Amino acid sequence: MEKTLSEYLTLSKNIDDLKFDKKLKVAILSSFTLNGLDEILHVKCSEIGIRYQSYLGGYNQYNQEFLNPESDYYKFSPDITFLIIDIRSFLGDHFHYPYNISNKERKSLVKEKINHLENLIQNFENYSSSKLIITNFNIPHYSPNGIIETKSEFGFHEMIEEINKSIRNISKTHNSVYVYDFNQFVSKHGEKNVFDYRQYHVGDIQIALNFMPFFGYDLMGYIKPISGTIRKCIVLDLDNTLWGGIVGEDGFDGIELGNTSNGKAFVDFQKELLSLWNHGTILAINSKNNFDDAMKVIKDHPDMILREKNFASIKINWSDKAENLKQIADEINIGLDSIAFFDDDKINQERIKQEFPEVLTIELPNDPSQFSPILKGLNDFNVLQRTDEDSKRGQMYAQQRERKEFEKSISSLDDFLKQLDIKVKIKKSNEFLIPRISQLTLKTNQFNLTTRRYQEEEIRNLSNDTKFIVGCAQVLDKFGDNGITGVYIINKNEKSWLIDTFLLSCRIMGRGVENAILSQILIDAKKNGIEEIHAEFIQTQKNQSAENFLLNFGFKKQDKLWIYKLNNEIKLPNHLKVEIE
Amino acid sequence: MIDDDVKTIIARVFLIPESEVNDQLGPENIETWDSFNGLVLVDELENHFKIKFTISEITDVKNVADIKRHLKNHNVT
Repeated sequence: MEKTLSEYLTLSKNIDDLKFDKKLKVAILSSFTLNGLDEILHVKCSEIGIRYQSYLGGYNQYNQEFLNPESDYYKFSPDITFLIIDIRSFLGDHFHYPYNISNKERKSLVKEKINHLENLIQNFENYSSSKLIITNFNIPHYSPNGIIETKSEFGFHEMIEEINKSIRNISKTHNSVYVYDFNQFVSKHGEKNVFDYRQYHVGDIQIALNFMPFFGYDLMGYIKPISGTIRKCIVLDLDNTLWGGIVGEDGFDGIELGNTSNGKAFVDFQKELLSLWNHGTILAINSKNNFDDAMKVIKDHPDMILREKNFASIKINWSDKAENLKQIADEINIGLDSIAFFDDDKINQERIKQEFPEVLTIELPNDPSQFSPILKGLNDFNVLQRTDEDSKRGQMYAQQRERKEFEKSISSLDDFLKQLDIKVKIKKSNEFLIPRISQLTLKTNQFNLTTRRYQEEEIRNLSNDTKFIVGCAQVLDKFGDNGITGVYIINKNEKSWLIDTFLLSCRIMGRGVENAILSQILIDAKKNGIEEIHAEFIQTQKNQSAENFLLNFGFKKQDKLWIYKLNNEIKLPNHLKVEIE
Repeated sequence: MIDDDVKTIIARVFLIPESEVNDQLGPENIETWDSFNGLVLVDELENHFKIKFTISEITDVKNVADIKRHLKNHNVT
């Protein structure tokens, strides 16, 4: 249930910001009165552990703020900027009299407006490193041309559509710019509700006060991925969550899935979950059930959408749900704060809420027809960009589960590694790989020698610099493709190479892949007549797993650097194959 | 009954104790009663009593007594 604006205003008075470590600076620039939005975002950020600081631009001052490099807005140096412009002020009197000018004039007016907006954004990109979220414009239900609006040459509605299209194109060509689809916000809630003429005339309020919390909620959809507070994994109950009824009592044929109206609602919910899985959200099961009964449904029920391969972890047992949830998080190697929990049972919901408040526990109602809209309404699964690896993630985690089961069945680690048939493909950076390489430097914390973070643009520059080598590794095995999971960056000097960056994604650790990649770097260096490889280990709170890597490989420490003399023999792990591309 | 509801809503919106709410109270004597919170109050009353004030009713409120008078016009008693 969304709170009312007045509840937000009251709550915002009593926030202890100092208890939150994660800071976020948010700027709100608008062309109309948005009182209350600041308080709503403040409360919502505090609810997810973010210390919110804000800058509110003056009433309709966004032009000056963007154009003047000395403006208070730029001085605030926000992480995220919301630019919220309304169609009335954007079009001025043309909003009321669009047909007082010819269609050619309308076209050039739109062009001029778009150029102006692009110019603002160009300035913004020059002076700010903030992410920019710009709202598009709602197309009013009314037109002075009435029923012949759609017959009008470049008509009123088409003008606004054209502007929206241009805004969309701006976001495609500018990495830091995102669009908030305000037109869809209005169609979701209805123009008659969102726009209150009395509030508009009394205080230039263009989003009715009781809809402001919903507007704030949608904007949180951008704040969450930018502040790194998204949910990566959905943990699901089975009975009355993925299907209707209790399989242990109603039996394989007795559960509701598919044919009945309830059964269709569960199928619909599963389809939405599968769609999220296809784009990188991990799924897991946490159910009190007889393992065999439940697995039979997952494997064999004709109307089941989600199958065994979609789940990264499967806990079907009679243990405590909280205990299971903790084990799932450990197994997948993610924090509890990255998990959303779906369970129809109020007692289970309460149990998880109390034990793990950092988990997002969804308050599912008894009515399964609401499951799918509730899931679609959540703003917790957004990413700022999507790489190839994201869409394969769900599959990779499921393969990981199979690997673990395989590992348990084999007694020695060496045998396990040999039977995995690991293949490492070493690739030089290219335009296609740059986003993923950057992403790995930004988010890999554990096996990372130097933890240097590089944005896409920086990786692109390093890749084009002849003094550097930027490379990565794709790892495959008998269970499937782990994707691009290793990155290295070498700074070349005449007689020695310095390893600027060397990292490995945690899901691939402990299989000798790191040795294989480093060996290849050494072999490559030797071929180039290099005498020494230099490396650094920069300790952080999280990279213990990489601490002894250089020592164990045979590097010797001299002052702050680790050095490997290339006249030494270079060992290659014998349980895996390496390919150079 | 209605008086109690109005009192609760006013106290909540302007962040004052309910005991301080009386008919003479208005923007003049409550610091938090600015034009924005005035509109928030209108919104709360409308949602609570399921009514819609006219724009002149919204703009000519000088004190709590005016609010009650307008509510009466909308048959809220």
